[in-house]
Amino acid sequence: MAHGSEEGLGFSSEDYDSLIATTDVELLKRTWRNEKASPEILQFQASLVQRSREQIQLMEDTMEEFAKNGTDPLTVSLYQMDLDRALFLLRSYLRTRLQKIEKYFIHISKSELWNRLSEQEQKFAKKCTDYMEKHLQKSVLSHLPYGYQSILRQSISSEEDDMVPEPQLDTFVFCKSKGSVGAFQLDDSGDEIVDLVADDLYVLRYKSIKALIESEQIDLV
Amino acid sequence: MYGRRASQLLKENSCNETGQFTAFNADMFGEVLKECNTHHLELQSLMRKIQEEGLDMQTTRNPDHFGAVIHHLSLMRNKRCLMAYVYNRAEVIQSLRWKVGPVLPQEIQGKLNQSEKEYFKNHSSALEAYMSELDLDLTVDMVPPKDPYIRIRVLDDIGDEVVLDDQSHNFVRHSIHLLKRTDAEQYISQGLMEELSG
Repeated sequence: MAHGSEEGLGFSSEDYDSLIATTDVELLKRTWRNEKASPEILQFQASLVQRSREQIQLMEDTMEEFAKNGTDPLTVSLYQMDLDRALFLLRSYLRTRLQKIEKYFIHISKSELWNRLSEQEQKFAKKCTDYMEKHLQKSVLSHLPYGYQSILRQSISSEEDDMVPEPQLDTFVFCKSKGSVGAFQLDDSGDEIVDLVADDLYVLRYKSIKALIESEQIDLV
Repeated sequence: MYGRRASQLLKENSCNETGQFTAFNADMFGEVLKECNTHHLELQSLMRKIQEEGLDMQTTRNPDHFGAVIHHLSLMRNKRCLMAYVYNRAEVIQSLRWKVGPVLPQEIQGKLNQSEKEYFKNHSSALEAYMSELDLDLTVDMVPPKDPYIRIRVLDDIGDEVVLDDQSHNFVRHSIHLLKRTDAEQYISQGLMEELSG
């Protein structure tokens, strides 16, 4: 996990960049940035999280050995710093996802976003929904007259579930594309065409680039 | 009537800064509920009147129909206001769980009504179940770490002989210690310690 191991091997800077880009820490950082910047919940990276946890565990074991061997305290605190930062990334990633679930659990349970959750997150979302429903029923809905007691609809005469909070997909996000995507159509009417060149920074509506993010051609910043 | 009192209830909510709230206004809440029932009774009596006059419910457009529509719309608006009130307070409660931890201080507990206290307990237990499944405490490390150890000053007597990480500390008031960040965070969030910067 430590980056120092690559430096002493005499790689050229391009090779170094591409090597760095594939380490798990970099992947975790990228996934974390995407998740923080996106208004809706993204696909759960189960294998990445699993690998990161294993590596963190390895680091913690190494640290314990250092503590026993009495290694140079500077090295120990550098490794400790690295470990703390990786742990922070992991925790923040999971925390951001949980907070998005807390906000939009009804919307997530009803749409295909449900499949983007990990198993434990699905259990959490289900519990969230149940407790919130119980709370709302007890405080408000049970006192209202018949026909207005639904959580999802305003009344039984509403045609669809109109009381579900949904994430705003129209927000603007900063993004950078990794490789050149070329001319890209921003909306369905074909009015705006944007040329996405590698490493250029763009500010676009989230909705238009949703598909590109899912196929990992673009990163959010 | 007609949603005015419900909007007053919501104004109370919006006057607070984000993350704070006032005591649960049970009186106004109860009054809005009574209004809802009044609207509903009026609605039903108007609909009955339309039926008694033998007119078709779906297509009549006489004053009774419009009166009924107004009652129906006010009822829906009251319902939305009430749900927004309860839902927004619930969101603040959720954020408190992240900021403060599983136990709420007395001042905040006094502002919640019974159902909200239950909701807090349930939500807190759902979070804890998730964290224990993953074996990771997600409420520490809220800010990116700059240093693995931080210097803290103890604000309140926590107790002597507190054991953290195989080392026992004597947390007397106003004493200064150098602790690991993750250990100190739980005390800082409860307000028992403060971080010394510089």
